[in-house]
Amino acid sequence: MLDFKLAPSQPEARPSDEVYDLIILGGGPAGLTAAIYAGRARIHTLVVVGPLPGGQPANTDMVENFPGFPEGIDGPDLARRFVAQAERFGVHLVHDTVTGVDLSVRPFVVRTDMATYRAHTLIIAMGAVPRRLGVPGEDRFFGRGVSACATCDGFFYRDKRVVVVGGGDSAVTEALYLTRFAREVILVHRRDQLRATQIHQERAFANPKMRFVWNSAVEEILGDKTVTGVRVRNLKTGETSVIEADGVFIYIGMEPQTELFRGQLELDEHGYIVTDRRQRTSVPGVYAAGDIQDPLYRQLVVAAGTGAVAAMEVEKYLEMYPQNNQEQQ
Amino acid sequence: MPLLNDEIRQEVSKILADLPGPVRLVMFTQEFECEYCTETRQLVEEVAELSDRITAEIYDFQADRAKAEELGIDKIPAIAVIGAQDYGVRFYGIPSGYEFASFLHAIQSVAAGKPELSDATLRVVAGIQKPVHIQVFVTPTCPYCPQAVMLAHQLAIASPLIRADMVEAMEFPHLAVKYQVMGVPRTVINETVHIEGAAPESHVVAKLQEALKA
Repeated sequence: MLDFKLAPSQPEARPSDEVYDLIILGGGPAGLTAAIYAGRARIHTLVVVGPLPGGQPANTDMVENFPGFPEGIDGPDLARRFVAQAERFGVHLVHDTVTGVDLSVRPFVVRTDMATYRAHTLIIAMGAVPRRLGVPGEDRFFGRGVSACATCDGFFYRDKRVVVVGGGDSAVTEALYLTRFAREVILVHRRDQLRATQIHQERAFANPKMRFVWNSAVEEILGDKTVTGVRVRNLKTGETSVIEADGVFIYIGMEPQTELFRGQLELDEHGYIVTDRRQRTSVPGVYAAGDIQDPLYRQLVVAAGTGAVAAMEVEKYLEMYPQNNQEQQ
Repeated sequence: MPLLNDEIRQEVSKILADLPGPVRLVMFTQEFECEYCTETRQLVEEVAELSDRITAEIYDFQADRAKAEELGIDKIPAIAVIGAQDYGVRFYGIPSGYEFASFLHAIQSVAAGKPELSDATLRVVAGIQKPVHIQVFVTPTCPYCPQAVMLAHQLAIASPLIRADMVEAMEFPHLAVKYQVMGVPRTVINETVHIEGAAPESHVVAKLQEALKA
């Protein structure tokens, strides 16, 4: 029952005074696929890998829909392979957090937690993060009774009562995971039926520890020192009620990490970066790939595909503007 | 039955090839082994087999009290990962699941003896005058936790005044209660300052400075 997972190698810090041909923001499937293509094209590339090297697969138990692995592949293992493959082709990786960009100057400026970098082109592939509810109590209790990671924190709710918010695949599968620990798992959903895949729904309805509160939205997370429950509003009747609980797990989908780019790049009404078929953004020389620009599919293989397109377009762009490319080297 | 399968063993051999210095894995268990003591001991022995620069030393927490005190070990299972010197890098509870990566990284880091931290962080750490104890609470199923553990261990390597523990919350539930751990990673600095989640380096350094002022 004990398992031992291997992680991507830890990227080392790089000097920041050189100008790169390309900086890839994000080290998930889109960013690392772009890195593999850029490395093979011998483009001088830096990848700023975020808090989870390898991206969302590193947080996925088993990936069953990535071609080439008929039995499925362990998510962290796949993430590690992505990083190893990118490194093999000579790109530089740093582990850091992007805190800002300046797209109004050339070369572009990328500020991170620990450094400032410059490059002639950018590929933005920072993915999506779990959406928050945006209700009172959520921030105060985050990490202390409110969680977005059942596998991380489920253990702390042994024999307790937890609320799961959401109705999609993540909400239902994580709720089922929590039934291993919790006494009771109450799923609160805005609609009167689940959106989750049929097989997950069947498992959820058959589980004696699961309870469902339909047509309801969480309005507040209650508690003094610890979480004691949630206040929910029934969206049909307008009535509010309190559900007692020791913990709240939020699975209401993902949202793109684009706050840093607001005002500098065109975003759609949901905050996704607008791209064309060549993964170009509204700023020439800046490309985007993966979930950060994909409101529709958000699949690993699609993210990887858009990463490849972006890198090939960067190669063409740098060829078209060789003066940009060479003057600094 | 080995804990590490052939595939993992091969990968680990590659990762641990060319360690720049010797590493001692000093493990504490006891005669009637605690939950996961057996597996932790076995893990230490199996990893040590994969590199000729790594040695495993197994001590009894009761019989070898003096050794435990010398290394500041106060609970078991415990592993002190020691390089050319003892940097204060500790694992309490078995480093399984995602934490196996933290364990391998700690071995590589103490072997190198050079912290992978920014210049700004190193400047702050160089100015520390008081002892700092960092405890990072984790579960083996938490993908975000190794980042917090690795950063804490790098800080320990950077300063003789900093020691940093990974604490596996499921094996030390009383500590999880004591430090009000309801989510991981949760980092506790000098008993007073808390960090929820895997925070960026600059944020952790700011919290460390806050703890030193307290």
